[in-house]
Amino acid sequence: MLHGAKSLVVVIAGLSWSTLSRVGFGWFAAMVAVLALGATVLSVISWYNTGYHVVGRELRVYEGLLWRRTRAIPLERLQAVEVVRPLLAQLTGLAELRLEVVGGGKTEAPLAYLGVADAAVLRERLLALAGRVAQQPAPGDAAAPVAPGATAPPAVVPGRPLHAVRNQSLLISQLLTPQAFLLPFGVAFVVVQFLTAGSWSFVAVASTLTAMAGVLLQPIRRVLDDWNFRLARDGGTLRVHNGLLETRAQTVPLERVQTVRATWPLLWRMKGWLRLRLEVAGYSVTEADDRNRPDRLLPVGDLPTATMIVAEVLPGVRLDALTLSPPPRRTRWLHPLGRAAFGAGLFERVFATRSGRLTRQLVIVPYARIQSVRVVQGPIQRRLGLATVHADTAGGSGATAQDRDLAEAWALAAELTARAHQARTQP
Amino acid sequence: MSGDPPASPGTTSPSWPPTPATAPPGVDPPPGAFPAPGTLGPEPTAPDVSTPAPLPPGALPPGHRPASAADQRAPDLPPPGLLPPEPGALLTAAPGGRGPLEPWPDTVHWQPISTDLIWVELIRLAIVVAIGLAVTGVGWAFSGHWLFGLAVAVVLVLGAWRAVAIVRAVRAWGYAERENDLLVRHGLLVRRLSIVPYSRMQFVDVSAGPLERAFDLATVQLHTAAAASDARVPGLRPAEASRLRDRLTALGEDRAEGL
Repeated sequence: MLHGAKSLVVVIAGLSWSTLSRVGFGWFAAMVAVLALGATVLSVISWYNTGYHVVGRELRVYEGLLWRRTRAIPLERLQAVEVVRPLLAQLTGLAELRLEVVGGGKTEAPLAYLGVADAAVLRERLLALAGRVAQQPAPGDAAAPVAPGATAPPAVVPGRPLHAVRNQSLLISQLLTPQAFLLPFGVAFVVVQFLTAGSWSFVAVASTLTAMAGVLLQPIRRVLDDWNFRLARDGGTLRVHNGLLETRAQTVPLERVQTVRATWPLLWRMKGWLRLRLEVAGYSVTEADDRNRPDRLLPVGDLPTATMIVAEVLPGVRLDALTLSPPPRRTRWLHPLGRAAFGAGLFERVFATRSGRLTRQLVIVPYARIQSVRVVQGPIQRRLGLATVHADTAGGSGATAQDRDLAEAWALAAELTARAHQARTQP
Repeated sequence: MSGDPPASPGTTSPSWPPTPATAPPGVDPPPGAFPAPGTLGPEPTAPDVSTPAPLPPGALPPGHRPASAADQRAPDLPPPGLLPPEPGALLTAAPGGRGPLEPWPDTVHWQPISTDLIWVELIRLAIVVAIGLAVTGVGWAFSGHWLFGLAVAVVLVLGAWRAVAIVRAVRAWGYAERENDLLVRHGLLVRRLSIVPYSRMQFVDVSAGPLERAFDLATVQLHTAAAASDARVPGLRPAEASRLRDRLTALGEDRAEGL
């Protein structure tokens, strides 16, 4: 019901200034009253229609009067149960129970506004039913970023050191990004403009500098973030240590790695460099603070280094020996330039796909991490007898095998599901 | 990955044998829903497909794909029995009348959704069209400009086209429960097939809007940890919906893992 009150306040605030000046005060009061009444009725109705009960090992949440929805959540899948008390609820002595489920992307099933005691009791009960009472961390959080500065001094990274990126190559690699590469041209353009215009106003110069800083911010940030990048292996976890101004130590359990993505930017190819990133579960795609996501595996490096690291992360995978089969030749009608870059291949424990003509990308997905397999066929693909196979993972976008022959796509999908099933059941 | 190629075919293929022996005869083909690949082969836009037009059952495309696929994947794929036989098997299944959107005919039994969903969708469409007609009609009546007349015609034509599309799209929607996963296919222009293992299920939604409830229908949606996977089955009878929901959650618990 407090939800209704909250939205009502917003509505009134929105109405007040524009309307109050136009209609008289009496009318305004009447409108507010009508709205308040309507909102109250609506929230009472929705409150009466929201309910939950526990059936066996399954929590069911009902909501909605017109658009009814029943959500069935197996208790094993509950990642966390939180008792939240927003300001309004605190004033009225109520609490909100939030149930975190992996799939939803947002908090699912907020059981809004129970009494505080009720909420705590229900929370205990749900957790007890779910079979893990508090001491075990939720499987959803993938990596526990250690508080910066609180850990060991920078020189010591626990575990067996795997690789340290030389700061020099990091600098060069960021100079080879399009932003840094095109900067001289931009500067020249601006200078020429100023010289021809002949007016050196302070504002113009300042705004130009700001724009340049904006363009340069990303490479500079990367340099600062990835400075002193060191990677170590400690038992079943990877330890990443990086940062110049703000040092960051991250721990990534290897079994949480969903995908490994190798990228060859166009300008890095003259050096033979590539970048490795990984995606872990538990961080939604829309996470605002992406700097804290433990996704860097190798900011810059050559192929042997990357091969070594990939072999550590995904045992038995040799990055330099992944031979992928290209799609059939008729794909060129759809992707005249990109065709040669596409590729897909099944390996003993991973599925790998490649794409991108200019910025080449290789995505490696372990079979055990595949969440679902999709086959999508657009109208032109249908004319050509092609189909695209997606292997979805929990973090990020998963792997996409573009434009396979239709029969091969079916076989691929069948093989992916079979192997994913096998990998799940007998790890 | 450099490891044992012979291990995989033994363990993976038996669970899923799209072998030519079981493939050929179509049981319940939805004719015309999908052009058979035999007609796709020698498409003028795809000149490099070397298969002759009517593909005889059991025949492989002569040396074309199987050889290349085997060559290029040789080091990693378990070479025989994985990719090469399937194209033949799947292609032979198609001339039997099955569209290519129905792979693995021996293991998959597609269930159609209720045709009442057509009415639900048509009513929704009718509401939209009515609003469009009202707006354009009022505009026409007041201004009398011929452009509004054109707009009315466009709305009508679009509505009619959409109605045909709805009927066909609802017929094209289907789902299948297999031993380990749920299959959902839908779409006419862009055809999609989702394979979602039960063990990946995070939670299941059963929802029904007012219009759906008037026709006694409900929608079941299976959510996984991946945002991209879509397994939504609309137009189920409530009894069937709750049966499916219970089955999905039960199977999901049995095969619990989730991530």
